[in-house]
Amino acid sequence: MTYARRAWIVLWKDAVTERRAKATLNALLFFSLLLLFVFQFTLGGDRERLVAALPGLLWLSFVLTGLVGLGRAFLVERENDCWDGLLMTAGDKSAIYLGKVAGNVILMLLVEIILLVLFAVFFNVDIGQALPPLALILPLGTVGFAAVGTLFAAMTAHVRAREILFPVLLLPVQIPVLLGAVKATEAALAGEGLGGVTHWLQLLGAADVVYVVAGLLTFDALLEG
Amino acid sequence: MNRALGWLAAVGLAGGLVMAFGVAPREITQGNVQRIMYLHVPTVLVAYLAFAVVLVASIAYLWRRSPAADRLAHASAEVGVLFTGLTIVAGAIWGKPTWGTWWTWDARLTSVAILFVMYLGYLLLRGMIEDRERAARYSAVLGIVAALDIPLVHFSVYWWRTLHQPPSLLKPGPATMSPEILAALLVNIVAFVLLYVYFVAKRATVLRREENVPA
Amino acid sequence: MTADHWGFVLSAYGIAAIALGAYWRHLCRRDRELTAQRSHAAQTAAHRRTNPVSPVQP
Repeated sequence: MTYARRAWIVLWKDAVTERRAKATLNALLFFSLLLLFVFQFTLGGDRERLVAALPGLLWLSFVLTGLVGLGRAFLVERENDCWDGLLMTAGDKSAIYLGKVAGNVILMLLVEIILLVLFAVFFNVDIGQALPPLALILPLGTVGFAAVGTLFAAMTAHVRAREILFPVLLLPVQIPVLLGAVKATEAALAGEGLGGVTHWLQLLGAADVVYVVAGLLTFDALLEG
Repeated sequence: MNRALGWLAAVGLAGGLVMAFGVAPREITQGNVQRIMYLHVPTVLVAYLAFAVVLVASIAYLWRRSPAADRLAHASAEVGVLFTGLTIVAGAIWGKPTWGTWWTWDARLTSVAILFVMYLGYLLLRGMIEDRERAARYSAVLGIVAALDIPLVHFSVYWWRTLHQPPSLLKPGPATMSPEILAALLVNIVAFVLLYVYFVAKRATVLRREENVPA
Repeated sequence: MTADHWGFVLSAYGIAAIALGAYWRHLCRRDRELTAQRSHAAQTAAHRRTNPVSPVQP
């Protein structure tokens, strides 16, 4: 079985499980909607201030939702005693990693797009002209987040206090991606286009490459026991 | 062998103090408070050295599964976190009289703070896995990812701080580095590196002996 | 002339000295504990060799 086929199978299995259960996607959407409400209540009624903070709030929502979602990345395997099945996979186990990351990226992008639309609606922001640049920025940021997040989720899956350890390990490492994504989103929402933030996009791209390669090379070591 | 190293480090540190307070001149713009530099710069350089060693040892462990590499990574991370903490504290104490504030989100301090939190997480992960072999494997992966992140952190934080901010803060060093200042800095750097090596060797030895203790 | 802020200088060096010193003492203490454990284990093993517990009742 080829490498790509193995990765695809993992992705397909997760997608089918998700389609049948719909639990994760629904819960994540609900969670992110609640975040939106919380932002409105905690940041007060000053629309100007909210709109000014919008890039940061958007990515804060994506990160918080991602932490909840990614923290469960290997939950299905763990709860259903399938972890050993992963361990016994023949050949290069990094194909599993690739499949998992792809699945997580798709899941997160779905949530992010819906959340973006909700933000625009609830805070009455016109994002029409920002959509093309955002179509580039969102995947760049999400891949970086999912690549490390999936790796750390596997790492913390069998550790005590995994619920607190996972965000504690992930957040500091994600700061470059967060900074880059927020800065680029700022430019996009301000209608400036991406010309002024190419260095940030390059940083995001570089981070994505570094994280995915690191994940591919080290995932095997996590699955040995 | 280790004891000789310890004495060497002690002598180096004593020499460093003499250089920092006796030989180095009083700085023109900042006054004597600038002497904190002879502590702050060596500790941050040692911290980066420590985490570079963690990277190399982590890769070596995943490649060769050598327990010695794992002990080296563990020890170096611990000492590195210690020196990073000292860097932040010294930096804050230096900042208060010179910048008027204990903390500022300038590029250097922010980068070091992120470094501190990342490797503190490394130690936390180690502490939470009972199985020695698994702890070694998992921390090696984390050690590699954290180290690869360091340049990304540097660029992102630097751009975040400087591209829309006027460079308003004093540089840590004096305007020009006279030979005395440079010499004092170098002596202190060497002294702290010796201290680092001594600490890591001692810590790794303790780790090795702890492994041999019958459960 | 700018103020010298010797208090700050001494605080910085003082905290560093205390932290590094405490870590060093911690390592030395752990080292001593391990040596004591090892010699105690060796003593117990030697004692057991010279005074074996006999399964046979006298």
